[in-house]
Amino acid sequence: MPSNSSPRRAAVIGSNRIPFGKAGGAYANATNLDMLGAALSGLVARFQLQGERMGDVAGGAVLKHSRDFNMTREAVLGSALSPQTPAFDVQRACGTSLETVTAIANKIALGQIDSGIAAGVDSTSDAPIVVSDRLRRTLIKLSRAKTLPDRLKLVASIRPGDLAPVAPDVAEPRTGLSMGEHQALTTLKWKITREAQDEIALASHKNLAQAYDDGLFDDLITPYRGLVRDESLRSDTSAEKLAKLKPVFGRGLGEGVATMTAGNSTPLSDGAATVLLGTDEWAAERGLPVLAHMVDAEAAAVDFVRGEEGLLMGGAYAVPRLLHRNKLVLADFDFIEIHEAFASTVLTTTAAWADEKFMVSKVGLPPLGKLNPAALNVAGSSLAAGHPFGATGARIVGTLASLLSRAKQSRPDGGPVRGLISVCAAGGQAVAMILEAA
Amino acid sequence: MSTRREQILPEVPSLTSLYGQAVARSARLMVRRPGPIVARLPEISYRVDDVRVDRAQLAAYQHLLGEAGTDTLPAGYVHVLGFPVAVAVMAREDFPLPLMGMVHVANQVQQRHPVHADDVLTVRAWAQNLRAHRSGTQVDLVTEVGQADGLDVLWRGVSSYLAKGKPLKGLALVESADGARPARADGRDADAPLPAVTASWRLGASTGRRYADVSGDRNPIHLSGLSAKLFGFKRAIAHGMYTASRALATVGPARPDAFVWDVEFLKPVLLPGQVAINLTPAEGATSYLGWDPRSQAVHFAGSVRPLP
Repeated sequence: MPSNSSPRRAAVIGSNRIPFGKAGGAYANATNLDMLGAALSGLVARFQLQGERMGDVAGGAVLKHSRDFNMTREAVLGSALSPQTPAFDVQRACGTSLETVTAIANKIALGQIDSGIAAGVDSTSDAPIVVSDRLRRTLIKLSRAKTLPDRLKLVASIRPGDLAPVAPDVAEPRTGLSMGEHQALTTLKWKITREAQDEIALASHKNLAQAYDDGLFDDLITPYRGLVRDESLRSDTSAEKLAKLKPVFGRGLGEGVATMTAGNSTPLSDGAATVLLGTDEWAAERGLPVLAHMVDAEAAAVDFVRGEEGLLMGGAYAVPRLLHRNKLVLADFDFIEIHEAFASTVLTTTAAWADEKFMVSKVGLPPLGKLNPAALNVAGSSLAAGHPFGATGARIVGTLASLLSRAKQSRPDGGPVRGLISVCAAGGQAVAMILEAA
Repeated sequence: MSTRREQILPEVPSLTSLYGQAVARSARLMVRRPGPIVARLPEISYRVDDVRVDRAQLAAYQHLLGEAGTDTLPAGYVHVLGFPVAVAVMAREDFPLPLMGMVHVANQVQQRHPVHADDVLTVRAWAQNLRAHRSGTQVDLVTEVGQADGLDVLWRGVSSYLAKGKPLKGLALVESADGARPARADGRDADAPLPAVTASWRLGASTGRRYADVSGDRNPIHLSGLSAKLFGFKRAIAHGMYTASRALATVGPARPDAFVWDVEFLKPVLLPGQVAINLTPAEGATSYLGWDPRSQAVHFAGSVRPLP
């Protein structure tokens, strides 16, 4: 059943996140649970939810320690929400908290719950380090060994190499290539220039700094551990400074073709974000505003393993399908939020949307037309804010809902004000979403 | 007491050096008996301004005690911040009781307003209410923590200590006239059967060292069996405030922004060891009790209730 004919749409009532930190920075001592708890406590305080039994809370992290299997429920128990609030964990790589928003919004739309919180978090500073598979298997056998000789034999079988800790990395398990190396291939294929990428990066920093100065985040962020703004934000960066950086990805692809630098690639980050959702009635009963409604969402995945498509090109499939289903085109959107995994992800995705041959042959839908650059990431995105994997979707939903509400207020009779979100994710996936101002 | 003189200390003193001084003083007293000890408390209160939170220490504290990792200071962490100032009062030459021989018997904290990790704090501490007890002499150390720029006290702690032995001369015995025992801090009668186990703590041998790391309280009785034996304990004992603070963390966000957190320490928790815990909620308050599951002896009892 298409969601635009469903009986009710979930309302985005508000959001709260902590400023995003740089890996090893302000949140070096914070765990995923700490940050999720801090963002959640800020949301509870902002919307007076103390003692409230929410319908459900969905959260998740990408780099997650196995002891945190019930992370979101633990965060709820550590918050002032009613301890009778249930919670569950979700993981869809960088699309995690766009997926938690979808899950909570769907439950609301179906009438199963009338309020909920969607969240996401990630820490690269406190990443779970695991032991090698050989050591792990030996330790499991050791715990089951009954006799001393058996135990000694097992201990003796441990080799020095087994003791090396294994840290998670961002390489795709099936290709061994990092995300950056994958995107370097896509960048080259779509002939994206260094200048165009640096332009996206510069706009991200300028727009985010401007949004802070305009007070957009006053109601969206709770300072944490001394941080009041995103740690990666460089309001003083310039095209010249960005142009000086040396490429870090795609250096093996040929002389002079590497264009992706630390400046136009997202930094590793720590942070958490939350979104408060509910029915219009639930919000009205508590005197809370409704900023926007969740209209529809779509997930997509591509075959990057056999090189049929670029790893981070899922948005080129998810968005056209989502728009087609809702009978919308790019021109119908006032705001377009494309997660900046890399500046070039934004450029390859939008290039694909406009490319007739690609759209017809690969997606099977007509091209979406050219994107209005003035609608793109107007309050900055992941290049400037940072990208704690699990938190990015919720950051974008929170920011976009506020932007939509502000735009609607400035032209109350001007028809629908819509926003589009596209977030690419590991495993060749992507999640897209439409929000509409209330 | 208005006669109390205020003395400003340049910084929060180091507990380790205060303990060092106290041990040296005890040793001196063993060699050279002093004249009769005057049963009078020093008429002084210590004050330290510009006290700031070490965020790494706060995070380590929150992780160890199971508190949420927010920027609001757990009430037990505020105790950790102010405790050395109170110890400095007890370490004075004119303090009538020996610091190293005192037992923490009860603690009451009033958390009047939340304290934020960015707050610049002023800590005040003094001793009061010196009194005789049937097994020695008891004294209260009061610590108040407020924002540097305001007079309002955010947090007030009263720690009661007992110096075992013959009570100092000239002190009134503070006990009810009819000899009836006062109610235990969890509100239950001491003879009442133990309640159901709602949690179980397995405390490893390193529990004292781990709390010492996050609190700075390296009193030798908590660090190892050997160092505890020097002070007359069979094994290392858990910090009383570790057990009370962990109980507070278990009560968790059910506590309101302003609350009273009480604890009575009845029998030390020997390390390593297991503690049976009961939490019972009642009308906005939660009482807690910790006991030895084998001997059934109660280690501590307390409650967390809204500030009246």
